[in-house]
Order: sequence, then C-alpha cells, then structure tokens
Amino acid sequence: MIRIYLCDDDDAARHQIQTALEWKIFVENYDMQVACSAANARELLAASENEKRGIYFLDVELEDPEWDGFRLGRELRRRDPHCTLVYITSYGDLAWRTFQYHLEAFDYIVKERSQIGPSVSQCLSEIHTRLLHERQDPVEMFTLRTEETVRHVPLRDILFFETASISHHVLLHTPNSRMNFLGSLNELELQLGNRFIRTHRAYLVAADKIDTVDLKHNKLWAGGYECLLSRAGKAELRRKMGGNQ
Amino acid sequence: MLSLSDLFAGYLDGLTGHLALAVYVLAATDERAVWRRLKKLPLLFLSPLAAILLSLGLYGAPEWGINPYYINALAVLLMCTLWVRWTWRFGFWQALAATCMAAIFQVAGSTVSSMVPLPFAAAIGLHLGISIAGSLLLYKLRFGRWFRLLLERGAVPRRTALLLLALEVVMEIFLRLSNGVQPRFLGFYYLLVAAATVLIAVLAVYLAQRFDTARKMQAQQDAIAQQRLYEQDLEMIRREVRTFRHDYKNLLAGLSRQAGEGELEGLCQTLSELDAGFDLRLGKKIQASTQIGNLQIPEVRSLLLSKLAAMEEKGVECRLEAFYPVAAVEMDVWDFVRCLGILTDNAMEAALDTERPWVEIVLLAEDGRVFLRVSNTYANSIEPRKMWNEGWSTKGAGRGVGLSSYQQILEKYPNASACASWENGVFVQEMTVEGRL
Repeated sequence: MIRIYLCDDDDAARHQIQTALEWKIFVENYDMQVACSAANARELLAASENEKRGIYFLDVELEDPEWDGFRLGRELRRRDPHCTLVYITSYGDLAWRTFQYHLEAFDYIVKERSQIGPSVSQCLSEIHTRLLHERQDPVEMFTLRTEETVRHVPLRDILFFETASISHHVLLHTPNSRMNFLGSLNELELQLGNRFIRTHRAYLVAADKIDTVDLKHNKLWAGGYECLLSRAGKAELRRKMGGNQ
Repeated sequence: MLSLSDLFAGYLDGLTGHLALAVYVLAATDERAVWRRLKKLPLLFLSPLAAILLSLGLYGAPEWGINPYYINALAVLLMCTLWVRWTWRFGFWQALAATCMAAIFQVAGSTVSSMVPLPFAAAIGLHLGISIAGSLLLYKLRFGRWFRLLLERGAVPRRTALLLLALEVVMEIFLRLSNGVQPRFLGFYYLLVAAATVLIAVLAVYLAQRFDTARKMQAQQDAIAQQRLYEQDLEMIRREVRTFRHDYKNLLAGLSRQAGEGELEGLCQTLSELDAGFDLRLGKKIQASTQIGNLQIPEVRSLLLSKLAAMEEKGVECRLEAFYPVAAVEMDVWDFVRCLGILTDNAMEAALDTERPWVEIVLLAEDGRVFLRVSNTYANSIEPRKMWNEGWSTKGAGRGVGLSSYQQILEKYPNASACASWENGVFVQEMTVEGRL
C-alpha cells in the first residue's frame, strides 16, 4: 500500500484534489490510499513522520513563514529520499526548474477550478506507471553528498573517477556528464568495492566500462576517455580481470 | 680559475634567489593553493644552473661593453617569467609583471641581507628568512589581493609589466651600486633601498585601486543603463495593466449578463479566456520582473539583464528563475560574475546553432549557498567531452578561452564545485558555491 499525503491551506482546493485522488484510486483499483489531508505543513510533517516512499501533493504558496512549499519538499526529501513530490500552484509562473532540479519534483498542477480534477488523476496515473517501472527494474544509485545537496547517479552509468585539478576534489565521468565534488579516490575505492579498479593513483575506473588497454603505453580507454595506467594499476587490473582475460 | 666548489656555491646562491623569488610571487598573487604551485617548483632549480652555464659562457667571451651581470640577470628574469607563466597558467605579460614585482622584493631582500658580513651558509639562511618574513608580511597586508587586480584582463597587464620591468632594472642597478658606496654612507644606502621598495609596492597598490575604482564606475554606469531597461519593462507592464483594466470591465459586464441569463457554459469559457489572456499578456513579464527583483547583487543583476537583452535580440528564448533572493555569494563578486558571463555566453553561442534556441538560467540561494544552473540547446556538431581541452572551440582557435578560464577561477575556490551534463540535445552547466565551510 502506497500512502498519499496532501497539504494545501485552501480548503476548497484541498477537498477537490482529495476527491479526485480517491476517485482515481477507486476506479483504477490502485494499491494506494490518501493517508492524510493536511491544512498546514506541521500537520503534514507530524502525520508522515516515519513514511517511506510516500507520494506528496504540496501547495507551493503555503501561508507559513517557516514552511513554504520548497522548504517542506526539501524536508520531506531528506526524511523520505525515495518519495514522489507533486506541486500545486495557483500561478502558472512557478519557478518549476528550481523545484525539478533541487527536489526532483515529479510534476506540478495549476489550480484552475475546472481543470484540477483531470490534471490530478492524469498525474496519479503517470506516477503509478513510473513506480511500476521502478519496482521491476530497480537501479543501483551512487549518492553524491556535498554539505546539504544530494545527487544520485546510476552506478551503471559511471565510467570512472579521477582526481580533479582542485585539491581534495574528484571528477566523476559518465557518458553524458562530468561532475566535480569534494571527496577522495581512496575513500571511493573502499566504498565501491570490486566493480571499480584503481588503475592509477589518479584514476578509479569501472571494470565493465574498460574498452581497451594499452599496456605498452600505460593507458586504457573507458567510454572513449583516456585514462592512465600505473605499474600497480596493471597488477590490480590483472587481479580483478584475471577471470575473463 | 673557477673551482667546482665555487660553482656549487654560485649555484646555491642563485637557487636561494630563485626560491625567494618564488615565495614573493606566491605572496604577490595572493595564492591560496600554495602546495599545488610548489609542486612545480623543482623545474625552477634548472634556472640557476642555466644561469651559471650562461655566465661561464660570458666569462670566456670577449667584452661587449655590457656588463655580463646584466645579461645574466635578464636571462634569469626571463626564465623565471616562463616558470611563473607555466605554473600559474598566466599570459606572458601577467607572468612578467608578477615576476618583476617579486624580483623587486627579492633584490631588496638580498641587498638588506648583505648588510652584515656573514659566513656563506648564514647569509643564505638570512636571505631566505627575510624573504619568507617579507612574504608573510605581504600576505598580512593583503598586498596580493590588490596586485592580483592589476593582472586581470581589463587592467592592461602589458603596461604594468613594462613599468615594473623598468623599476626592477632600477633596483638591479641599485644593487650593483652598493659596491661603490663608501662605508660611512652605507646606512643611508640601505635606507634608500628600503624606501624605494616600499614606494614601488605602494605604487602598485595605488594603480590597482585606481583600476578598481574605474571598474566600479563602469559597473555603475552599466547598472544604470540596465535599470533603465528594467524600468521600461515595468512601464510596459503598467500600460498593459491599464488596457487590461479597460477590457476587464467589458468582460465583467459580459460575465454578469451571462450569469443573469444562466449560461453556465459560456460563463466558464469566458472565465478561462480571461485567465489565459492575463497570463499571455502580463503573466510572463511579471514573472520575469519578480525573478530579476530577486537578484540582489547589483553586479549579477546588471550582467544578467544585459545577457537577457542580448539573447532576446538574437532570438534566443530565455527563461530566468531565482526563487529566493540572491543577496551574497561566498566568492569574489567579480569572479562570480565572470563565471556567470562565461556560462551564459557559451550557452547563447551553442544555442544559436539550433533550430529552436533556448537558454534557461536558474539561481538558487539558500543558507549562504548559491547554486547556478545554465542549460541550453546545442547542435550535434559539438562534442561535449572534448570541450574541456584547453583552447577548444567550435568557432576556431582562440575562442575557447572561456571554459578554461572558468575552471581556473574555480580552482581558487575550494568551496565551489562544477558539474556538466548533456543529453537529448540539451547541455547543462551547474555551479555550486557553498557558504562558509
């Protein structure tokens, strides 16, 4: 059973959304339930204390000096990292990208009296589809944590890590991104275990991403990038790849 | 004749001078990542060796009327400049300016350390001690922070470099003059050297301050021009509101008629038209102006206003989001503005090659942390993974300076980190500047 939480300080809109959600769940026979319909952030936070993987419909413009929709979403994301966040707003000019990137918000619904019911049920069915997919095909994530911001990168996408030109920083490469973060290769090597190979003091390469190895020139290629190979790295490579060479 | 131990002593002497120079360069450039720079120090050990070989060559060569000392000094200066250029990744003139400034301090230091006759090892120790103490003093006085301004692109580093070179030649001549000074005037001589050094340092700071003021003035003028544009936008909103009010009355009259006649369907339709009309005509402009209002750092605001205007002019659709007020960033504001400028310029250039170009800028400030995200469309002709190679550009050589100087700026700030990603024709650059660590 997946629990749905709703928070909006506009009573009429909240009831409308709740009705739409309950109707959709009933019609489609989803394994879901509206567990809480709160008029303010504190009520919602109290009700969802130990929730895991919940779905939250949150008003952006909450009239609470401490909790606006963004901060509430951040707190929920912190407590329940795999939750689904949907935002409700009275204005079409919501800073949507900000919500999307920082809270990994799933969708947003504009409060228009006539439209709100259909948008809510549409949104719920999309969430349902996505959750089904995730259950069938769970993806192992690598979590980058810098102070407060958290970022997830699918582990299977990572090509390699290298020491960055900024001291104490590490550069992560995937086929379509590169990220710089505070960290050390030694710690990553311990954390990631056998799937990654320390080919050089400055490189930690995913074993299954190595395309070619040039032992003569002390180089190897992973996902089209050139990485360095040291003598200790060669031994490490032989030890870990020994089975399939 | 020269013996091997003489040569070795000469090498040690030269090396001491070079080390002192390197220490002063660190101070003059206000370097924070000292160890990173010092990693490249070993190559500098070659310079005194080359200098000795050169002086041996000159020793054997006939007199040219020029004192070999000066040729040697010039060669050493050039070698140090090249080392600084390589280590700091400066341009030539910037490296020359930094080297000359450091050389002036170093010459003064070595003059002062030769004040008391000491055994060789002690003299070297004293020289190094004086230079380290001098650099610490410079750090303490924040000399480097000012001097660094003179090396920036807008400040004409060539002029600064030539001026400092001239002063450095004067200092070298001073050093040579000490041989001809009568012992009873030596006190005055040392006083003169010290005073000249202080004067040169003050001159450098003065020039930097003047440059800073000029830049601030320019920024203010830019800001005023941008504010004017912004006010024009607001004025347009005001005018739109007025016409809207007029239409509004008519619409309301229609609505009450429809309500009176019980035409529910028509009523709903008119209402949604009203809403859509408002969004189309005013909503977007109001959104843009609230976002801009949230940019509370004047330099950042005026830069973004000018970039937004430029993009609009070139037909690039641009969207700006600043959900919370951005009031401060834990980075030199000019460095932040330069990063922002580089990222938006790159985004605009890349977007222009696509069919429906758009650029999206998101700024989020929270608890002292500032997050910047610039995304844009890009054409297939760009290969993102090659972009970080120095000098890369789609527009031919010399244009790819942007990204490498972006990375150079970030190297100064351990509290900043950068990410880039590309997928489905959209390129994203992110930068996070943490609050005080």
